[in-house]
Amino acid sequence: MTARPVLRKIPLYAVLIVLSLLWLLPVVSSFLVSFKSSKDFVSQSWADLPTQFYFFRNLATVMKEYRLQDNLASSFIYSAVGTVVVILCSSMAGFSIVRLRPKFNFLLFLVIYSGTLFPFQMYLIPVYRLFNTLGLYDTRTGMILIYSAICIPFSLFVYRGFYTTIPREIEEAAKLDGCGPVRAFVSVFLPQSLPPTAVVALFQATWIWNDLLFGMVLSRTQYVRPVMVAVATMTGYGGGNIPWIMTAVIFTSIPTILLFVALRKFFIQGMVMSITS
Amino acid sequence: MEDVLKTRDTVISYLFILPAFALVVVLLVIPMFQNVYYSFFNWNGLSTPLFIGLKNYVTMFTDRVIGGAMLNTILWVVFTLAFPALGGLLVAVFVTGVKGAGFFKSVFFVPLTISFVATGVIWAYMFSKELGVINGLFGIIGLPWKPSWLTDVPLNSFSMIIAWTWQQLGANMVMFLMGLGTIPRDPIEACLLDGASAWQTFIHVKLPMLRPITTVVFTMAMVNSFKVFDIIWVMTRGGPYSSSETLAVSMFRETFTLFHMGYGAAISVILSLIVIVISAAYIRRMTKRDMLYY
Repeated sequence: MTARPVLRKIPLYAVLIVLSLLWLLPVVSSFLVSFKSSKDFVSQSWADLPTQFYFFRNLATVMKEYRLQDNLASSFIYSAVGTVVVILCSSMAGFSIVRLRPKFNFLLFLVIYSGTLFPFQMYLIPVYRLFNTLGLYDTRTGMILIYSAICIPFSLFVYRGFYTTIPREIEEAAKLDGCGPVRAFVSVFLPQSLPPTAVVALFQATWIWNDLLFGMVLSRTQYVRPVMVAVATMTGYGGGNIPWIMTAVIFTSIPTILLFVALRKFFIQGMVMSITS
Repeated sequence: MEDVLKTRDTVISYLFILPAFALVVVLLVIPMFQNVYYSFFNWNGLSTPLFIGLKNYVTMFTDRVIGGAMLNTILWVVFTLAFPALGGLLVAVFVTGVKGAGFFKSVFFVPLTISFVATGVIWAYMFSKELGVINGLFGIIGLPWKPSWLTDVPLNSFSMIIAWTWQQLGANMVMFLMGLGTIPRDPIEACLLDGASAWQTFIHVKLPMLRPITTVVFTMAMVNSFKVFDIIWVMTRGGPYSSSETLAVSMFRETFTLFHMGYGAAISVILSLIVIVISAAYIRRMTKRDMLYY
């Protein structure tokens, strides 16, 4: 009687272990490739250990040949500045829509929120044209603007949801003390906004960092191209030099992995919000 | 004095919304309408656009490449429901209450922390014909089959769907785990006491209780599979000869490599319509519920 449930669970464990191995295989073999020199890579089988640890030399080559540091710098600026712009714009708008409730607040919300509905392909051509007319094509300012616009709808949704949960009494008290809406926002609402801000920072900074499509369409030169476009370009049509590319992939993934590790508990919260959205 | 304060507060309340509203309207909402407008023109991006009515849409239905892309898109949707979505549900059920659940969850979570581009590069290597891991494994177990995963049709689409599954399954698992966490223990224990097997409890108790979250996850999975672009671009560029394109990739190729701007716009309009129709039921429910607050 006591042995049976354990026995019954053996196939379950078998399935889980096999699946886990399948999931870890790409991770392990990618690291292995990035440790190899190009010579090792073509002469060895995939499972062989490298004769020399080549990761840092691969990285140095990638930096020298592809100047990946320029793209890293750009993407860092886009993620950091874009996320700050998004946090400011959407927290203010969320506060006003939920708490100041001007006329048409729900309509205004729906207009902004409609930005999450369409596939990005819907915006590419007009934005490409607009940026060309305004001189924003292939500029860092342009990239920051489009990334912010794309991220605002979801972020507004997050802040709006969060501000509905802050008790009204706090605000009434602030009002009695003679606080205007600006003071109430800055000194009452903003200090309490850590959870939605963490969710927005995690999701949007990661999204901006990982973007390929807008980077490909709206930038052309080395100094403006975001990092994922640079990595995707390295692959070329024929596959490129795989140890170099894999080193670039691993190195450029470090920031988002760290962000996930640091803000892991907010990931679940963000998922809840994104599915209720 | 009271009135002045009130007007001031109203102005401030709009000013608070203005930056977000302006950015979204100028860069997303107006472009969306412009895009629909462009889809009625023959335009290469430089010359004067020529109004051709619905001709771009008519061409789409006779265009073999677009037909193929449509089929591929359907393939992606169907297999996204089967692998990452249903797979996420099964894995969530499997890991619940198992020893080492934390470890297994982390393993499936790992790919979520990297980009689609990184996923594409990694799996392009896994599937590469001569030096890749998959064919290497086949060699080790003595399988005489050495396919070229990324150039044979329709094998290339399946290979990319596997990469996509590897990346997406964890997200769905997380959502189903949340859903399973909200199911009360009592009915499940009652079933087990009555002699029902774990499988029967799953089908008759857990699954019905998970229905709301299942609907959401499956809708999202479908919508996301229509939008897949990065993985395909990195792994095959939609090739060889456009054989692994989905609509999202066709739109990009028509627009930014062939400069058929009007035609590209038409493809994106059709793509958007499909996505909107699928999420329509879901959006209606959301707005209805939201209306309750107002």
